Amino acid sequence: MNEEQVKTLLEELKTDLETTESSLDITKLWHKYFSDNGSFKLLIKKIKDLPVEEKKTTALIIQQAYKEAQELFAEKENSIKGGELSGNIKSQSENFNPSAPKIGHLHPISKTIREMNDLFVSMGFSIMDGPEIETDEFCFQRLNVPADHPARDMQDTIYIKEPDFLLRTQTSSIEAQTLAKFKPPFKIVSPGRSYRNESVNKSNHFVFHQYQGVVVTEKANMKDLFGTFQVLFKKMYGEDVVTRYRNKYYPEVEPGVGPDMQCFNCHGKGCPLCKGVGWIEMGGAGIIHPNVMKMAGLDTKKWVGFAFGLGLDRWVMAKYKVTDIRTLLGGNLGYKYYENESII
Amino acid sequence: MKVLYSQIKELVPGLKAKPREVGEALTLTGFMMDGFTEVTYKGKKDYLLSLEIRQNRADCLSVIGLAREVAAYYNLKASIPAIKTITKNNKKLDIKIEATDFIKRVLAIKIDDIKNQESPQWLKEYMAFYGLNSAGLLVDLSNYVMMLTGYPSHLIDFKKTEGTIYWSINNNFKEITTLLGSVTKLNNNEIIIRDNNNIIALAGIIGGKTDSIDINTNSVIAEIAIYDRSIIRKNSRSLSITTEASRRLEKDLDPNEADYAMKMLVSLILKYAGGKVASSLFNYYPKKYTSPKIQFDKELPTKLAGIEISPKDTLRILKGLNFDIISKNNKLTVIPPTYRMDVALPEDLAEEVIRIHGYNHIPTNEIPHLEVVKDITPKNIILSEKIRDVLTVLGFDETLSWPLTEKGINTKVNYSDLNEITTQNSVNDLFPNLRQSMAVGLLNQMNEYFKKGVEFIDIFEIGRIFGEKNKNYLEHDSLGILSASKDNTLSQYKDKIESLLRLIGFVDVKYFESKVKPKIANPESCWDINVNNQNIGIIYKLAPSETKLNIYFTEIDVERITKMLTKVDNNPVVELTQKLISLDVNIELDKEDSIFDYLKNLENKIDRKNIWSINVADVYQVGNKKKYTLRVTYEELSDKKAKEIHLKAFDKIS
Repeated sequence: MNEEQVKTLLEELKTDLETTESSLDITKLWHKYFSDNGSFKLLIKKIKDLPVEEKKTTALIIQQAYKEAQELFAEKENSIKGGELSGNIKSQSENFNPSAPKIGHLHPISKTIREMNDLFVSMGFSIMDGPEIETDEFCFQRLNVPADHPARDMQDTIYIKEPDFLLRTQTSSIEAQTLAKFKPPFKIVSPGRSYRNESVNKSNHFVFHQYQGVVVTEKANMKDLFGTFQVLFKKMYGEDVVTRYRNKYYPEVEPGVGPDMQCFNCHGKGCPLCKGVGWIEMGGAGIIHPNVMKMAGLDTKKWVGFAFGLGLDRWVMAKYKVTDIRTLLGGNLGYKYYENESII
Repeated sequence: MKVLYSQIKELVPGLKAKPREVGEALTLTGFMMDGFTEVTYKGKKDYLLSLEIRQNRADCLSVIGLAREVAAYYNLKASIPAIKTITKNNKKLDIKIEATDFIKRVLAIKIDDIKNQESPQWLKEYMAFYGLNSAGLLVDLSNYVMMLTGYPSHLIDFKKTEGTIYWSINNNFKEITTLLGSVTKLNNNEIIIRDNNNIIALAGIIGGKTDSIDINTNSVIAEIAIYDRSIIRKNSRSLSITTEASRRLEKDLDPNEADYAMKMLVSLILKYAGGKVASSLFNYYPKKYTSPKIQFDKELPTKLAGIEISPKDTLRILKGLNFDIISKNNKLTVIPPTYRMDVALPEDLAEEVIRIHGYNHIPTNEIPHLEVVKDITPKNIILSEKIRDVLTVLGFDETLSWPLTEKGINTKVNYSDLNEITTQNSVNDLFPNLRQSMAVGLLNQMNEYFKKGVEFIDIFEIGRIFGEKNKNYLEHDSLGILSASKDNTLSQYKDKIESLLRLIGFVDVKYFESKVKPKIANPESCWDINVNNQNIGIIYKLAPSETKLNIYFTEIDVERITKMLTKVDNNPVVELTQKLISLDVNIELDKEDSIFDYLKNLENKIDRKNIWSINVADVYQVGNKKKYTLRVTYEELSDKKAKEIHLKAFDKIS
């Protein structure tokens, strides 16, 4: 390697820059000259193979040429981007990548909700929401959880004004609101936020997301519920997903159902993730309890329904490989520019 | 609840299923196995199954209860050992029940001449499975009976008591030293067991040190009591003491079966510690519990499960669960055993039938047959989705943040006339208040990005904001949009906001100086956003900060704009079957006149049937006039027809 080679490279760059007019071409040039396998980087890598007596001089020549090349490149890049891109995209390009236009991203929770909503809308469901500041009546009593019921142990409540006003502890309150406001038949899903009085750590948060579903018709039954769940599991986790449905207690349903998915980590053999049992609990479900229907003024001889609730954060974390629940809402979520599915 | 496989097998003699299969059967029927361990018990290999008992099944917090479940699932008979009646002694115990509102039943008996000693090895091993250290023979036997039957029992060293023993509501003891030696401050109103001078126990939760059993104890009062479960739960929570006893008594324990537990306890004490019964059985049981009689339709399990479960199977399952069945005039009455205090409704019975029949018999691969129903999705949800679409296309990233905020933040961002809402009991006391503006989360997100070297930030969030007015707690969906970088300008930012508003259906956007300006806003650069004479939100530049970024923030009341839009549709998609034809027309307006108003009037005057779009192609000013070139694009028309309609339409207008 000699000084002449370095000069030739610099001239080659100048010629290329002169004929470059678009941001796409300037990106290609960047890769040609400045990426890890680019011409300048390769030159720099070769320095170490030079005889000792040449090293210092050649390194200096390359360093100067490299600096000049960068300045020339930046000047051209600015002139192209300044002409064809808005200031916003220009800044974007400096931070991320010089060529692609800026397209925003949905939050992974919203993306997951949208995927699930799309599925349920295709099955004729409506989407519903309800208040986050709830009353004891709609969060507990109308869901068959009276004041002294042990089920309240399962959820410590953040109160706004004890005992009547609170932050909803479950999206089942939307079920109670919908049952009270709409005449059946209806089919709804409700993605929403819930609150529990928990200290924040890697796996628990006082704010979390749930996905609720409610169907009230004249003929709903557990087979329909299982079928609905299975469609959802397959959509979210693929055709090969292995599931089981077991009896599980929730005060607002009777019979109650616990849908589980075979542990994706150990495929049912048992591992620390599934606490050795081979299954991961995915939520709760069941036929709506007759007391819940009666409190909404519905005739249980005519109407029957099923309901389900899923811990949405768990689904999102599994899908996007997020290991700390705080990342989802805490400001540490970044979007990789080209890989929409990955999170830094 | 933990249970040994060998114990289940002993109580269900015909059981052929292997240990893990038993665990899986119990899981299917409602008791999820969350642990399975190979252990050694009495010198033999055994298996310890750990089960979650979520439901109101105090009976299943016992070996006997779980054995009954296993027997029912496998259609086998459970063989619960009979225990001889306790030998009578006519001497009455000096016990008084004062807290009658909270006590369902108390059984007590005195046993004298006992020899307390170290427990045999098998009992020590058994206690270890439950994480209990052996506390001597008497206490270990008491715990053993609790595990077998589900009934917590309590032994009082009779010689340490002074006078009458009472079940009372506490109103004078300030603290108790528990048998574990810890001192617990009392709040008053707990149910306690006491004598004339000392507190003996926190009833249903834990015994006290004063009258506890020690190695020299030779005379005991054994008691088993059933309480109103809510008082046990309340006391346990308020004193932060949870024990094996309180866990069981917080659920509904059948007062009737307490007799069996007491007989077992006495017989085991007499067998292993010697002694003799020294009193009659004290039995406070003012209102005997009887099971409900439930009218039951045999078809209900089939209806709810969605699969055929024959009446024969239904009856077999109910009988296997020890339910009595009376059939009269083609009507069925079912009476649960008294230990099934969770069963009261026909749907409860249906669940029993379906779970024992097996959820695994309900197919999962059939497409659900759900009837077609009306779409009741509220407009604001559809609009929010549309906003997300538009903003991501405009280059904004969506963020989500906590609606609870730190103290003092709301006063900086609020511009409404609502009061701040504060939570009463959040354990996360750093975040006590509900946010009043979406700016809170977006600014936090911006700071996080900035710290990580991202200097160009375009983010948005749709979420709830909260406030109180006239003692009403209010909340609504709000959209926050934040843009921050060193070289963006307000006009660039405003263009994007207006693009959003146009795309969701608002054309005529006006700005008025804000009447109430958030403290973080630059007061010279803060406007209310007005559409159709209604304020829909606020747009402002933030006051300069250390970051030296230009930060712009907009907040739009999603609920308000939803109400203003008569119809919210997804972005329209049509199938084009013929080429579009674009024709221009020149119009002239006074300088002050709004082109938007003109276009709005135009929409009312011309037939829109074949119009694809109308755009402003060019504009220039001549004196006090502005000249516009409008480009009207027609669809589904021939050239000739399009020209004809175009001329007619604009002639008519002119």
